[in-house]
Amino acid sequence: MRKTAPLTKIVMVFLVSLWAMLLDSAAALALLTAALVALFALSKAPAASYKALGSLGIFAAGLTAMQFALGAEAEFSAVVGLRMAMMTGLFILLMATTRIQDLTAALVRQLRVPYEYAFMVTASLRFVPDLLAEVKAVQEAQACRGYSNRGSVARRLRNYLTIVQPLVLRSVTRSETMAMSLELRGFGANRAGGYGTSIAFGYRDYLALAALAAGTAMIVAMRFYR
Amino acid sequence: MAAIVFDNFSYSYDGAAKALDGVDLTVARGSFTVVAGPSGAGKTTLCFAACGVVPHYFGGSMAGRVSVAGVATAGSSMRELAVNVGTVLEDFESQLVTMTVAEEVAFALENRGVGHDRIARRIGEVLAQVGLAGLEDREVGSLSGGQKQRLAIASVLATRPEILVLDEPASALDPEGAEELYALLASLNREYGMTLLVVEHDLARVLAYADNLLVLADGRIACQGRPEEVLPVLARSEELAAMVPPLWQLKFGLEERFETRFAPWRHEGEAIEELGGFIGAGRREDTKSA
Repeated sequence: MRKTAPLTKIVMVFLVSLWAMLLDSAAALALLTAALVALFALSKAPAASYKALGSLGIFAAGLTAMQFALGAEAEFSAVVGLRMAMMTGLFILLMATTRIQDLTAALVRQLRVPYEYAFMVTASLRFVPDLLAEVKAVQEAQACRGYSNRGSVARRLRNYLTIVQPLVLRSVTRSETMAMSLELRGFGANRAGGYGTSIAFGYRDYLALAALAAGTAMIVAMRFYR
Repeated sequence: MAAIVFDNFSYSYDGAAKALDGVDLTVARGSFTVVAGPSGAGKTTLCFAACGVVPHYFGGSMAGRVSVAGVATAGSSMRELAVNVGTVLEDFESQLVTMTVAEEVAFALENRGVGHDRIARRIGEVLAQVGLAGLEDREVGSLSGGQKQRLAIASVLATRPEILVLDEPASALDPEGAEELYALLASLNREYGMTLLVVEHDLARVLAYADNLLVLADGRIACQGRPEEVLPVLARSEELAAMVPPLWQLKFGLEERFETRFAPWRHEGEAIEELGGFIGAGRREDTKSA
């Protein structure tokens, strides 16, 4: 999966999600889900994505059980849970096997998404670790002043405002610095971007796209002309 | 030709209080100028004015003129000014906007439409210059504070500016990190002839490298000149004496008390050596007289 072009994977996410929507057999969806898990294993995705996949499995099982408990048929309940698991699992696979900069480059150069929007995605993800570190630092600082995350939900939410407030102010300052820095480095003058990114198509992409197209045609035919 | 010229420059962010008031300043090409002063003295605004952030980004009202490499900042965009001036802001971590080290250095070059082969060559050169060679593929978030500061410098050096403006570059670094950073800046100044304008409140860190010290107070220039000329003036000033590093305060106190003259120290090592000699000589004299 790592050698597959980001655009191929984006197409796969959309088309296989479409398959999941069109298929109404729990057995067929279970087969698709098994194929997805196999793809995960073959792609050597990072450990964190397996954890996400595990959580997704538990959530899907819970959703199925809830549907069944609310009076839906067993087949229908399983279809709902498997559909959700498939569609979310595909997205996790995409993110786990694609560098965010390659994804951004594919969005800009191949799907013609405006550079500014695609850049926003990369920049936001770049600041996630910084933001988490700041949350920890603010929590520790406020704990020294008596902040506690114990008590009723309402109390915890009210107390959490003391964390959120400095974080918001810090984010505003950070975005201002970032805007200045972008301006000072000529952001937007050239919209190509994507140094060091890898989005070129190879033979495996053409094969995958052909298989996806054939699969889609077959499932559409089965769904509407049976 | 001077690198930066402030000609009777005044600026106000909100049209009321003046952040800079009638500043006349010439920064010589190839100089290492350090800007110091109390909080709210206008140090950051001076940096912003040198790179065009003031007035282009903040608006506000201004009088007088600032020119950089002969170009008036008011008549050029920030992007155009960035050809000559590289700026590292105080919050340098927010200045890093990409995922990997190589992409960060490539960012400004890509924005100028430089080809990928030239970008690849320049990344190698600049990272070697700042001591980050071999870290091209590292994620920015995984770097230490000192490495991030070096990367911020590398990202502006990529476009080969002749002037580098840095606002409190060592404020988030530990003492060793700050020392390494200033050694790097000194090498950029001496080996590559870059003009440096650096805001720093801890003068002991920069005395070894600075050849021009500018002190601001209430938006005006309080004093300016070679560090060995400016420090005694600061030490005599009631408002600004606290800016003089402790060992230098001791020096001026001893010079006044014992009517002696010490050499113009450039760093704490020299200060400790000469003070040690002075105290030793005093002890020997006491022993003799006893």
